[in-house]
Amino acid sequence: MADPIRVLIVDDEERFRETLAKLLGRHGFVVREAGSGPAALELLGQAPCDVIVLDVKMPGMTGADALPLLRAACPEAEVLVLTGHASVDIASTMIAGGAADYLLKPCPTEELEGAIRAVYDRRQATRPR
Amino acid sequence: MNPEPTPDAPGPLPGDHAPPLWPHTLLAPGLAGAAVLSALAAPPLVGVGLALFAGAICIGSALTLARRVRRGERELHELDVRLLHSQKLAAIGELSSGIAHEINNPLAIITQEIDLARELFGQDACPAPEDLADIKDCLDQVGKQVARCCQITHKLLNFARKMEPVLQEEALEQVIEDMAVLVEREAAGRGVAIRRDYDQSLPPVRTDVPLLRQVILNLLTNAMHATPEGGTITLATCRQNGRAVIEVRDTGCGIPPENLPKVFDPFFTTKEPGKGTGLGLSLSHGIVARLGGNLTAQSAVGKGSVFTVSLPL
Repeated sequence: MADPIRVLIVDDEERFRETLAKLLGRHGFVVREAGSGPAALELLGQAPCDVIVLDVKMPGMTGADALPLLRAACPEAEVLVLTGHASVDIASTMIAGGAADYLLKPCPTEELEGAIRAVYDRRQATRPR
Repeated sequence: MNPEPTPDAPGPLPGDHAPPLWPHTLLAPGLAGAAVLSALAAPPLVGVGLALFAGAICIGSALTLARRVRRGERELHELDVRLLHSQKLAAIGELSSGIAHEINNPLAIITQEIDLARELFGQDACPAPEDLADIKDCLDQVGKQVARCCQITHKLLNFARKMEPVLQEEALEQVIEDMAVLVEREAAGRGVAIRRDYDQSLPPVRTDVPLLRQVILNLLTNAMHATPEGGTITLATCRQNGRAVIEVRDTGCGIPPENLPKVFDPFFTTKEPGKGTGLGLSLSHGIVARLGGNLTAQSAVGKGSVFTVSLPL
């Protein structure tokens, strides 16, 4: 059986993180959560992950500020932006900054899971062997 | 059909293809001058004819110029209206994006709680006994997030409501005290002292008392949340430049300089998600403006903040 996909959720909404972690955990993902950019960097320092689910509007370090740092801390991870901020500008900034995909909250768990698997599969396919 | 010019793509500016001005600045005066000079040397009858010709040229030119000035004024007015409209649209855009974000976050939580509850119910809609507490927790959370959305929409309705101030005379000190007693108990519980420094010589103000109370309460609760144990909130009144001034000073964490210009923006908050809507100060700012005054903020990080309400006397 393939290794489970390791997901890091970075979001300042505590309950959102917890329930998403619970749901993804039940569906076979290995999940860790961080409430802010710096907390996520600390977790990545301990162990890498495959997909980072990143919020944009967070107090202190925003998702846009955190994106290059997270990518530098864990170059092999794909970043999936998930935010309630409905702005094309932010989406294009995040994609230009190296995010793999952009989803808008509220997003059904099934759709989010599909997106996580899609960016993971894409990375596996393009990864040098 | 003429397409309506949109604020994003305005039509050509006046003057881009306006007729040239030289016939009025050079040709008409030149012709009139030549006619007058010729009239001086010509026989009387021809002279009168030339003078009338010069007059006709001047009148024609003046009328054309007057028409152009009037058209220019009209175009300027239209541009003003369009600018105002585009500014309004920009403000609506900013507000909508703020509302969308604030509502999308609780909706995202609700979506997940429903997904989790459905999963716990199982395919046969018969949850395992050990999952029942989790399902109840999901439902409780849905209720909490709905309440959070309601709080936002209700505060927005306050924005929309046309609150015509009802003016009555009242001692400023009394308005402040009414609110201070409300928060004093909670402040004492947090170890925060409330000090008073009222100017006793201040005459009563003519203002909308309930609206002003709302502002004071908002400033007081903000100060209390910003002030750590052992800190002080000072409520002061004074007269400055013929206006009545209320100050709410705290010895709290202060506001970083980069955030200070944003504190009155709708939805700006540094509180945790769900803890603050970011509408309190924005609403207060609007209320004070409607009362004919202004609300300003000063702050030093680590030392505290001062919010000043200045009202007409």
